[in-house]
Amino acid sequence: MTRLRPQSLLRTTVKGMAARKARLALTGLAVVLGAAFIAAALVLTASIRSTVDDLNGAAYAGVDLLVRPVEPETYGERLVREGVSAETLAAVEASDGVERVSTTVSWMINALDDNGKVVGGFAPTSAVNWGDESTDRELREGRAPETDGEVAVSAKFATDSGLGLGDTVTAYSMTSDKTEYAIVGVYGYPGGRDSLSGGTELAFTTEEAQYLVFDGRDVYSMVAVHAADGTSGAELLDALAPAVGAEAETVTIEDYSAEMSAETAEITGVIGNFLLGFGLVAVFVSVFLIANTFSIVIAGRLKEIAMMRAIGAGRGQIVRSVLAEALILGALAALAGTIVGVAGGAGLTSAVAGRLLDSAQVSVAIPPSAVIAALAVGIGVTVVSALVPALRASKTPPVEAMRAAVKADKPITGVTVTGAVVTAAGAAAMALGLTGSLGDRADLAGVGIGAGLVFVGVTLLTAWLSRPLVAALGALWSWSFAGKLGRRNAARNPRRTAGTAAALMIGVTLVTATATLLTSVKASLTDYFQDNVKAELFVTGPLTAAVSPSFDPAVMDGIREVEGVDHAVEMYYDLADIDGTEQYVNATTDFAGIVGLFGGTVAEGDDGALADDEIAVNAWAAEDLGVGMGDTVTATFSRGTEAREFTVAAILDDNENTDGWYVAATYTDEFYTTKPTMALIDVADGGDVAAVTAAVDGLLANEPEVSVQNHEDFVAEMTVFYDFAIIAIQLLLGLAMVVAVIGVVNTLVLSVLERTRELGMLRAIGMTRGQTTRMVTVESVTIALFGAILGIAVGVALGWAIQSALVETGIEVFAVPTALIAGYLGAAVLVGLLAAIAPAVRASKVDILAAIAYE
Amino acid sequence: MHHTDHQRSAGAVPRNPEHRNPRHTDTFIESESVVSTASPVKTTAVAAQGVWKAYGSGEAQVVALRDVSVEFASGAFTAIMGPSGSGKSTLMHCLAGLDTTDRGTVIIGDSTVTGLGDKALTKLRRDKIGFIFQQFNLLPTLTAEENITLPAAIAGTKADPDWVKRIIHTLDLTDRLSHKPTELSGGQQQRVACARALATRPDVVFADEPTGNLDTRSGTEVLNFLRTSVDDFGQTIVMVTHDPTAAAYADRVVFLADGQIVEDMADPTADSVIDKMKHFEELVAAAQEEAA
Repeated sequence: MTRLRPQSLLRTTVKGMAARKARLALTGLAVVLGAAFIAAALVLTASIRSTVDDLNGAAYAGVDLLVRPVEPETYGERLVREGVSAETLAAVEASDGVERVSTTVSWMINALDDNGKVVGGFAPTSAVNWGDESTDRELREGRAPETDGEVAVSAKFATDSGLGLGDTVTAYSMTSDKTEYAIVGVYGYPGGRDSLSGGTELAFTTEEAQYLVFDGRDVYSMVAVHAADGTSGAELLDALAPAVGAEAETVTIEDYSAEMSAETAEITGVIGNFLLGFGLVAVFVSVFLIANTFSIVIAGRLKEIAMMRAIGAGRGQIVRSVLAEALILGALAALAGTIVGVAGGAGLTSAVAGRLLDSAQVSVAIPPSAVIAALAVGIGVTVVSALVPALRASKTPPVEAMRAAVKADKPITGVTVTGAVVTAAGAAAMALGLTGSLGDRADLAGVGIGAGLVFVGVTLLTAWLSRPLVAALGALWSWSFAGKLGRRNAARNPRRTAGTAAALMIGVTLVTATATLLTSVKASLTDYFQDNVKAELFVTGPLTAAVSPSFDPAVMDGIREVEGVDHAVEMYYDLADIDGTEQYVNATTDFAGIVGLFGGTVAEGDDGALADDEIAVNAWAAEDLGVGMGDTVTATFSRGTEAREFTVAAILDDNENTDGWYVAATYTDEFYTTKPTMALIDVADGGDVAAVTAAVDGLLANEPEVSVQNHEDFVAEMTVFYDFAIIAIQLLLGLAMVVAVIGVVNTLVLSVLERTRELGMLRAIGMTRGQTTRMVTVESVTIALFGAILGIAVGVALGWAIQSALVETGIEVFAVPTALIAGYLGAAVLVGLLAAIAPAVRASKVDILAAIAYE
Repeated sequence: MHHTDHQRSAGAVPRNPEHRNPRHTDTFIESESVVSTASPVKTTAVAAQGVWKAYGSGEAQVVALRDVSVEFASGAFTAIMGPSGSGKSTLMHCLAGLDTTDRGTVIIGDSTVTGLGDKALTKLRRDKIGFIFQQFNLLPTLTAEENITLPAAIAGTKADPDWVKRIIHTLDLTDRLSHKPTELSGGQQQRVACARALATRPDVVFADEPTGNLDTRSGTEVLNFLRTSVDDFGQTIVMVTHDPTAAAYADRVVFLADGQIVEDMADPTADSVIDKMKHFEELVAAAQEEAA
């Protein structure tokens, strides 16, 4: 038997593909999406980096070196850097090789808009001294600030605050009181930008900036050094060493730019990873879609393949011809995806640069890795997904060509057994982990790996599960005959239905599991607060603000006077150095009040007022540091210039609410935030909580950073980060839904094609177009709902498992995100409806005569 | 057989629930003489008047029907025969409201089919016409019983249970009702299709080569049933076939050639049909010679 030449086989493949353009295009779309997200992620990351590099290159133009304070290593970012002292500045200025120096005084502050609200949320407001060289500031209106009561504001601040030239702005820092400044100028930045990195800025005189940032001390955030002609930056670096001393350090402007770029890269890296995650989800989901499409295409070509086998094509040739088709499809789709992704990445860079950096000038970088990765993943996933259908096709016996079309479905036993085994193994691993039989660390790993296995296992079981589930779903449509037919059609080919529904299932599982976990965390916190915190109301502000929300302690007097208030106590907070370790320290004028309202108990000592040199601590922290009652500890606060000694006067029982250390409110001037950050209010039994809330709200009218909150508000604010996480995850679902729509459309179009004769018969014996449309729509919605319900079930189960595994960390309550789940079901119906449009129209327009014609 | 008059009157008066009443059915079966006195003997179930139908345009135009006028009597079993391309299938499609006519009128019962929109046509097919196809065309997802009651289900009504039972019994399908089509033989499938066609008691059943895909024994069973349904139930049947044996079961054979009716034969036998076919072949051959 002569073998077919590969070329002719390839030609057949290409011709065949041309005939199936629409279906392949739909399938390719999923690959396009995956490749596009990957390319976009990599292009975005690279482009932002190069854009930022350009921007940083422009900053400090003409400056050779920077002198800045040494950053203490043990402290986090919240610590206030001690500035470069005036003495160091003078010494640097006097050094050989220095032509001139300039100073920068800069830190975050709060400023109020024309409504008395704090300007900005995530993007901070900075105070800076006019004349600093970190960037060129270009006055657009007015002039530079000349006296302490004057300020020039950035154009973005003017826009955001609604204030302008001639207005008065109220600004204050963590150390200063609210002060009014006259706006004498409005400025922009090079390139016509309104802001740097999206933040707002207020420029004061150097002295006023020092008052706001350094509580009035004559120190500087940074000193910029211009080298004299003939002196290089590197030479100057050594020459300045004696002048700078140990409190400060010198960096070349090149190193500084590199540091800044690295910092920005971290932020854009998050966006990049997010897109990359999307790409991977799209790719993962595509696997099912592609495998499904190829199975379907091959099923339709069985006769053709058998004929080719009969005339001498080898098995390998059949596999190769299917894989060639996959390769061509994958290459085209990956190429399209790469182009879309690169374009999208560039566009996204402009958007991000415009919004985040306020930079009109974007430098788009297309790293080769972006193109290679997107192409490789796109082509790879297509070919790999087509492998199983290709192998199956090669097993077609030549005699099949002679037989009448046999539409017998391949048994799903193999995949079902595998799925059952994997699910069981996963469940077992989870059970072992949950019962704590694997030992501390392995328990959580067991639950995690088990959850992953269950996920994969159930995905494999979808075909088997589709029969009973789709039948059960059918009850929904049983009132309509078209609905009944549609439901039966959905149950007709379990393998196909399952493959189609899997796309949606995966997405829904991921989001449901995460949402369930996050909802449980919230519910646990709420419960915990309800059970343990005696205070009904809190005065506090959003944790996301750039500057810790705080308020004037004077309002506490007013709050204590409010009718119905039994007890009110304020708290100060700092991250301090205690015996060389970083510790949370609370300061309060009313230690007993704090302990009582937070539901804590004192184990040793008493809860009497703390003396200036006394400190209290919870048992766990005391043990950690090896201190006991009567021991002495040394503490240095964020702004503290000297270590202070305290004697341990009380040890608290372990309680999450009363974690950390407690001191009297004696040294709050040395705290990072020198004003109280929180107050607890206990409403008297029988008191009117709503009335107290309203009264306190009134007292806080001039405290824009904080508000009065009940337990629910408080927990909501504490968990606001989770809300963002949930939103981010919903976006992921959105993507999975797009792929799911493609998958469902693909399957339905094929089903409609296969059932043309049936549709023709139904139309002939009197089924209306409307009924036909409804029948296809029901099939579509049933498949989508099946995927969503399965995803919700697995997601909730996995969420529960992880929650159970985390009970010891305090996530004690299992809560189901019912509203979100209802939303997912709604989304599934939407997917079904959208996907049904084209196939349903096609079905309703079936040419009856052509459909029922024989021969 | 003269139940035809009743069929006529049933079509003429607005349909009412009583029409589907089992007792009414019995009356209808047994009281033919009473009804037949009320109106002329043979009424027309389906009629075509001056029907033209062409496909394509210009050079490629093929005229499938040329000025065809024909009437099909109620309660009669008519076969349409003719060589391939004679237009017999086109004629049936036009009669059944599956295809539109270029000129001329088609009437079923008291309804003019010509000019109806898709919705009205669909409703007409659903309520007044039954179909039997060569390829059976059963829905594989439905059981035999569900397939039989499919037209009623589509209409959102319930088929008269006694009537359906009677058909099922006649077709010997009683113990096959819960089977899916794939579990049935070809003959059984076609019998299910016959039951489906009759279940709504349509004004007319169109059968398109109903025995084309069956072995002789199964084909005979189906033809016997069609004959019985005409004789015992007063059903009107129009059957397209190229098989003289099948045509012999009909009361009348209409021969089509080149889009025109060329012969109308009453009480056909297999032999007379074969003779007639031979005669046509000779005529066609002569015409071709002349043209050459």
